[in-house]
Amino acid sequence: MTQLRKYRHSRLRLCSAAAAALLLTAACGQGASSGGGDGPIKIGSSLPLTGEFSEAGQATQKGYQTWVALTNQNGGLLGRQVEIIVKDDATNQNTVVTDYNALIAQDKVDLLLGTQSSLLNLPASAIAERNRMLYVEPAGGAPELFERGFTYLFFSQQATTDYQGAVWAKWVASLPADKRPRKVAYPSVDDPFSKSVADGVEKILTAAGIQTAYKEVYPLGTKNLDSIVNAVAASGADAVVHGSVFEDGVTFVRAMERANFKPKLIYQSQAPAFGKQYLDGVGQKATEGMFYSTSWNEVAETPGNAAFVAKYRELFKEEPTEDAADGFAAAEVVAAAVKGVGGIEDQKALADWLHANKVDTILGTLSWDKAGRPTGEYLVGQWQNGKAEIVLPPEVATSKRLVRYGGGDL
Amino acid sequence: MTSFLQILVLGILTGGVYALLASGLTLVFGVMRVINIAHGAFILTGAFLAYTLWRWSGLDPLLLTVVVAAVMFGVGWLVYLVALRPVRTAPITTTVLLTFGVALLLEGLMGVVWGNTSHSIRPSYADESFTLAGLYIPEVQVYGGLLALAVLAALYLIMQRTWLGRAIRASSVNEPGARLVGVSVSSVAAMTFALGVAGAGMGGSIMGMLYPFLPGSHYQWIARLLAIVVLGGLGSLPGAVVGALLIGVAEVMASSYIGPEWTTAVPFLVIFIVLLVRPQGLMGTRLREDVAPA
Repeated sequence: MTQLRKYRHSRLRLCSAAAAALLLTAACGQGASSGGGDGPIKIGSSLPLTGEFSEAGQATQKGYQTWVALTNQNGGLLGRQVEIIVKDDATNQNTVVTDYNALIAQDKVDLLLGTQSSLLNLPASAIAERNRMLYVEPAGGAPELFERGFTYLFFSQQATTDYQGAVWAKWVASLPADKRPRKVAYPSVDDPFSKSVADGVEKILTAAGIQTAYKEVYPLGTKNLDSIVNAVAASGADAVVHGSVFEDGVTFVRAMERANFKPKLIYQSQAPAFGKQYLDGVGQKATEGMFYSTSWNEVAETPGNAAFVAKYRELFKEEPTEDAADGFAAAEVVAAAVKGVGGIEDQKALADWLHANKVDTILGTLSWDKAGRPTGEYLVGQWQNGKAEIVLPPEVATSKRLVRYGGGDL
Repeated sequence: MTSFLQILVLGILTGGVYALLASGLTLVFGVMRVINIAHGAFILTGAFLAYTLWRWSGLDPLLLTVVVAAVMFGVGWLVYLVALRPVRTAPITTTVLLTFGVALLLEGLMGVVWGNTSHSIRPSYADESFTLAGLYIPEVQVYGGLLALAVLAALYLIMQRTWLGRAIRASSVNEPGARLVGVSVSSVAAMTFALGVAGAGMGGSIMGMLYPFLPGSHYQWIARLLAIVVLGGLGSLPGAVVGALLIGVAEVMASSYIGPEWTTAVPFLVIFIVLLVRPQGLMGTRLREDVAPA
């Protein structure tokens, strides 16, 4: 989920990049994978290891590396060891196109794994589609990606961004009248990911009769959010749905503190899922009661999650992040298709298998529609007493309490 | 009326912080005719240094700005000697490319030392506000603005009242003439660049208390700061203050009265209009460049 925050450029630029990607690959032929044999299975990916999205890119790389280590430790894939080639796209749409072309044509990888963010996955997935290779992306949930009629593209999280806040919004709509917010503010950064999260929540809450008090979009890179918080507070909203990425998510909450603005409920996309970074960024007091959606939880009893966490800690001497878990899950999806088909030669068969089957991952069970959109639901988290808890849906909740922003009963 | 005053106060405070961040950039251009694209990266280096010192010592980050400025002065001197001195008389495009390279190098080094994760400097008062006549006035922005005024006043006094300042100005106006009267132009340039980087470091310490930062954030800062110094007049310290205040107020006013989506566009529209009327910026001076240096 968090990695999607980097969809930071205009749609025009995205379309241009996608067109460029298709043109650049026009000369490329079919997938050039080396296919069978007894040597290692080569998997290729390009990630933003440097540049603006490097934080998420490096985390995803660690997720991929953890999956490779665990897979090889357990006998490999189809009895063959696995190796991964990761190139650095430097958070650049042109470079990511070059990288995937090189992975296919020069490195002759057998399988692909996706990159970070909708911004980069948009052109990268076009390369894979042109070469008829399976493309499972750990990030990239903007709805536009799945409106191109691709058949080899799959997003390995629970849902596209427009449904990310749906579980939380339905819960708010179900509250008794005296506990529901009357007016909601929807400030959002100009980013198709964050904005579509806020739009999705607004749609559900409006249908439930909850008024929209404020709805504005601000440009990416906006540093000063004091004036926006000032306007939100003046709107009379008693709940806030903030379509944020990380930095503006932190800055917004700190501006709320300075303005002493305390709505009853607040939901932010992405930022609160950054764990300790978020806690350090806004301080424990300001996290209390903050809602967010997340694809993964460290203590979830999903298949393989404990092994992933343990191996990750062993390899990197740190706690895994959501981006790392999403990377691991993407590799699990590719592996499930390979095992299901029993080979790596027929990439169409791999894609068909994923369209027809469900896959158990550390994020839970995933399945897809014919466009590669996942058909599940995200978890809802809430910060309570300095700790990120899962509160919805109730059957997987790590805390049975739900509190108002700042603490206390709703 | 209260709402308007609140918005105005927020804009002025934002501009104050921008002024602090922009001071070194305009100083370096004014003296060396170098557009220092690495200025944003130096700001972030200062922020990371302040973060480390704050976590290690537990001292108030405002006090640590002095230490950060001293360390960054040394960094600036070193960067000048290693990277800029060999190309000091090269065309401006060369130094733009070179300082861009320095920015990328610094970004990489910061990534290695501090990691590619967001950091925040949060002393106890980071999110506190003063209250005055029904208005809230964020504390850190007040301190940042005051520090900006102090730094810029000090730089202005150095430039106008000291031998070093006269040497700096002489070097920028007529380098051969400055040499003739015994000024070591190279040392003056090194000193100027180091002062500019020290100012960036000091600004970074304050910026780190207001906004989260990571090594890649410098791109966001350099565009805004270049706009400010162009508006104020490249090389003019008072111009940097005026430009920063104008941009800060324009951002906040646009956000509040037109819509947040105009936050970026309106200030640049202001710059566009100003430059149409005064190409040298609000407080810049026209320079003759039709005579080749000896």
